[in-house]
Amino acid sequence: MLKVQHVYKYFDSVCVNDDISLDLKSGEIFGLLGPNGAGKTTLMRMLATVTTPDRGEILLQNEPLSPNHIPMIGYMPEERGLYRKMTVVDQLLYFAELKGLNRPSAKEEVKKWMKRLDIIDWADKKMEELSKGMAQKIQFISTILHRPQFLILDEPFSGFDPVNADLIKDLILDLKNEGTTILFSTHRMDNVEELCDRLAIIHEGKKILDGKIYDVRRDFFDNEYDVVLSENIKFPDHYQISSSQEDHGKWTTRIKLTEEQSYKDLMDFSYNTGKLLGIWEYLPTMHEVFVSQVSPSKPSKS
Amino acid sequence: MKNIWVVLKKEYLTRIRNKTFIVMTFLAPILVALFYAGAIYFAVNGGDDNAQKDIYFEAEYWEANPSDLNFDNFKFHQATNATEAILKNIDENPNIAWLHIEDQDIRFLDSAELVTGSGFSVKHVSQIDGHIKNKIHETLLQKNGISETTLESTQVQGEITTFELDDKGDVTGNNAGLKSIIGFILAFVIYMFIFIYGSMVMRSAMEEKTNRIVEVIVSSVKPFQLMMGKILGVALVGLSQFIAWVLLTTGFLTVIGQLLKQPQNLNEATVTKGKEAIEILQGLHALPIGEILTIFVLFFLGGYLLYSSIFAAIGSAVNQETDVQQFMLPVSLPLVFGFIIAQSVVFQAPNGHLAQVFSMIPLTSPVVMAVRAPFDVPISEVVGSFLILVITFLAMVWVSGKIYRIGILMYGKKPSWKDLFKWIRQS
Repeated sequence: MLKVQHVYKYFDSVCVNDDISLDLKSGEIFGLLGPNGAGKTTLMRMLATVTTPDRGEILLQNEPLSPNHIPMIGYMPEERGLYRKMTVVDQLLYFAELKGLNRPSAKEEVKKWMKRLDIIDWADKKMEELSKGMAQKIQFISTILHRPQFLILDEPFSGFDPVNADLIKDLILDLKNEGTTILFSTHRMDNVEELCDRLAIIHEGKKILDGKIYDVRRDFFDNEYDVVLSENIKFPDHYQISSSQEDHGKWTTRIKLTEEQSYKDLMDFSYNTGKLLGIWEYLPTMHEVFVSQVSPSKPSKS
Repeated sequence: MKNIWVVLKKEYLTRIRNKTFIVMTFLAPILVALFYAGAIYFAVNGGDDNAQKDIYFEAEYWEANPSDLNFDNFKFHQATNATEAILKNIDENPNIAWLHIEDQDIRFLDSAELVTGSGFSVKHVSQIDGHIKNKIHETLLQKNGISETTLESTQVQGEITTFELDDKGDVTGNNAGLKSIIGFILAFVIYMFIFIYGSMVMRSAMEEKTNRIVEVIVSSVKPFQLMMGKILGVALVGLSQFIAWVLLTTGFLTVIGQLLKQPQNLNEATVTKGKEAIEILQGLHALPIGEILTIFVLFFLGGYLLYSSIFAAIGSAVNQETDVQQFMLPVSLPLVFGFIIAQSVVFQAPNGHLAQVFSMIPLTSPVVMAVRAPFDVPISEVVGSFLILVITFLAMVWVSGKIYRIGILMYGKKPSWKDLFKWIRQS
């Protein structure tokens, strides 16, 4: 669906996108992660045809990205807003027409979406009369009115209250099920694990990893195991304990095995206590992966 | 192109539907018409009070018969009472006055005094002043043995009728005064419209930037298309308003004119006024109306397009209203300067050297050309000036487009002139 091939973008002499390559499959939700200033917005602006790469190529459905693709792209930037003096309907129609929709079908779509989000009664109100939550819904509608096949959402949940955020989350999943390919950026790892099929982390302009969420976590498996016992039993000193906690009579100890230590020995020891409830390998959360990758103190694994 | 059209339509319709716009479009011609009607009404009916004014007159060295001095509603009487008693009466009766001329040589009225009641207006006083001077003049003529007929026979009558030979060899009447007024009005309209509508374009660009709308828009439209749509949309708003004003004002004035033509309203004053109006109308008809309008519309559009593309770039560059000033001042100076030039040119040498030079400079030419429009500007100059204007506009739109493209996505620090030049080079 979308191929980003060795894309570079410079501001003055600073390289903000440094050899970025991505490959999005049709109908998937792709998360773009990275700390502030990593170059996510710059990349998304290029994908949304707002700017063009200085080097490299972007292909959408195997064609070089061009203004011809505008009708099939939906873009909700992080910096977003609406005309305060325009009515909701006029505003939505304007955005739809700019995306190449003709007026009758634009009207139909506007009506449909406003009904779906239960804001049809507000159609003729001016934006300045609406609450912030309402405006956010309308902003989202304006992005998807023209039924884009490729949706780019820059920090879609920033500024949304939890209720609206859930609503948007559901909509995003609906759109995915209807076949829309979605790329979104976020700081919030819970959104990533909930929504994304795949993700990439960008740091200081470079892509430092990408893949399926489980695969990424698997990659960062650090030989740690959670051992759950029904009693607080002391482990032999040669085991390196990362953490331990008690919850309603269950004692969970996270142990990091060294190269020489085997999982079997740990299992045997645990089993022999006679108190073993369970033992699992511990995969780091996306949050931990993210922090480990972008904190300056730790060297990146890749 | 389609996108420019969509933007244009939106910019045009939202402005046309704006309440302030509708009110201004209808109110301005009504005000003009009312003002005009009022002026005519007062000119015809004078607003004068027709009460008799009694002037007690005292002149030691001028033996004039008071009743010979009467004119209009002014009745002159020999002052008989003691001066103080008369002055006391003035307190009670606003329509009496005391005129005292004590100079020995009556040619000099320096120490003559007129004490009036509150019923005398400035106009009355000047009427009395003029009248008395005339009478003294007559007296002095008689004294020197010059009869009125002798005097009349020496008086030069009439005015030299001036004609103008235009470039087609036709002889037309000269209406320098009328032309100056028309030229001045045209220049003023262009000057005002450029400022009003130019800053409308600027605010529109700023609104989209400060409300963070623009990034969504430029993912659908090229920034250049957005800018052009805005400029052209607002141009149409300006033209619509102008046309509405012309039509409505003409309509209202025609109605007023018809009302005044009713026979029962005819009296001496209206006839004179009518004569004047007819003369003005004849003067108007003698002017090359088509040519004037063509020049006006061409330079109105050209000037607006040039300035609004500059204003659009400014609007895209700044982050808030307060940052506008540093860019507005240097940009609007040429326009203000052009207007000053236009004012001096119009009454002195509409086709002179100064006028020619500033007609060729694109930032001043719209206003200066407008002021010259009624004065048969050589066609070569009009074409030349307009070409320069159009070429400058195209160049400016190209430059502004570059600034606009980068400016609208630049948030944060206040841009400087240096930044703008960097943006032009960058893209």
